[in-house]
Amino acid sequence: MCMRVESDPMSLNFDAEDDFCLEENRFKQYCAEFIKHSQQIGDGWEWKSIKDFPDGYMSKTHFQMKNGNTPSIFKDSTKESDEQTLTRVEEALDDSQVAGICATSEVIRYEYHVLYSSSYQVPVLYFRACFLDGRPLTLDEIWEGVHECYQARLLEGPWDTITQQEHPLLGQPFFVLHPCRTNEFMAPVLANSRRENRNINYITSWLSIVGPVVGLNLPLSYAKLVSEQNTKAD
Amino acid sequence: GVAEPAPPPAGSPVIEEPPEDTKKKIDVLLKAVGDTPIMKNKKWTVERTRTIQGLVDFIKKFLKLVASEQLFIYVNQSFAPSPDQEVGTLYECFGSDGKLVLHYCKSQAWG
Repeated sequence: MCMRVESDPMSLNFDAEDDFCLEENRFKQYCAEFIKHSQQIGDGWEWKSIKDFPDGYMSKTHFQMKNGNTPSIFKDSTKESDEQTLTRVEEALDDSQVAGICATSEVIRYEYHVLYSSSYQVPVLYFRACFLDGRPLTLDEIWEGVHECYQARLLEGPWDTITQQEHPLLGQPFFVLHPCRTNEFMAPVLANSRRENRNINYITSWLSIVGPVVGLNLPLSYAKLVSEQNTKAD
Repeated sequence: GVAEPAPPPAGSPVIEEPPEDTKKKIDVLLKAVGDTPIMKNKKWTVERTRTIQGLVDFIKKFLKLVASEQLFIYVNQSFAPSPDQEVGTLYECFGSDGKLVLHYCKSQAWG
C-alpha cells in the first residue's frame, strides 16, 4: 500500500496511483536489468552496496566540459553522435589524469545515484556535480547543462522539486529530485503498458523522463531493450 | 531551422507527399496517453531532422497547453527520448509499417 503524503483532490488518477507503487525487490530487479544493458553498451552504470547496509543503489559518474562537450580524450570516433558519446563515457581515467589533460576549471564531474524510497515506494534520483578541484557546482551552474526546454519550467519553481539533502547512505550533500509526485507522471505510462500487456522496465522509463531534467540522457538503445522483452507486437 | 509539421488540409488527415520528398520526411502517428487530450489529427508528416523538443512544442501549442504543463513523448510506449533526438533516428530504430508511433502524455509533475 502506498503512503501518499499529499493527495490532490483534483487528481483523476487517485486510485490508479495505488496500483503502480514500486516494491523494493522489483526496484532491485529493474536496476539489475538496467545495469546489464548498461554494461552491454558501456554506459557506465553500476550497482553499489554499502558495507553493513542491506540497501544499495545504482550509480553513474560522467565527465563533461562546462560548455557541454565531452573532453576529447573520451571521444570515440566510431560512436554515432556526440550526445550518445557523452553518456557512454566510462570512468576510465581517474580525476588526476583528467585534470592533467583538460583545464581543471572546465571539466565537471557529474554523479547520479538512483535510490529506493520506501516512504514513497518509488525510485529517487540523487545527483551532484563538482569541478575537478573539488569545488561543488551550485544548482544554477548545473542548470546551465540542462536542456532549455526544462530550464523554463525549472525557473518557475525548482525549489518545489529539487532539494538538497544528505545522501541516506553516504551522508554527503546531494541534490534530490523530490519523489512525491513520481507516481503521478509514471501512472499513465504504467497504466498504458498494463493495458497493452507490455512489460516495461520501470527504472528505464522513469530515468528517461527525469534524467534530462538534470542533464542525464539515456542512449536510445535502452528503449530497444524494453522492446525485445515484450512478447506482444506493437 | 526545420519546418513545422504541415497541418493537414481540412477533411484530410494525412499529407500526401510527392515521392522525392518521402526520404526527407517521415510519417508519425501520435497517440494520447492517460487523460491527455486526443489530437483530432493524429497522423503527421514530419521532417527527419525535427527534434523531440520541436515536436513537444508543436503538440503543446496544438493542444493549447499552458506553460506550467509538461508534455512527454514516448517511443515504445515507455521510453522518453532526449529532447535533442531527431525523429528520423527514432523512425530508423522504432518505425514499422512505414510510420513511427509516438505516445504523448501531459503532466504537471516533475519530482
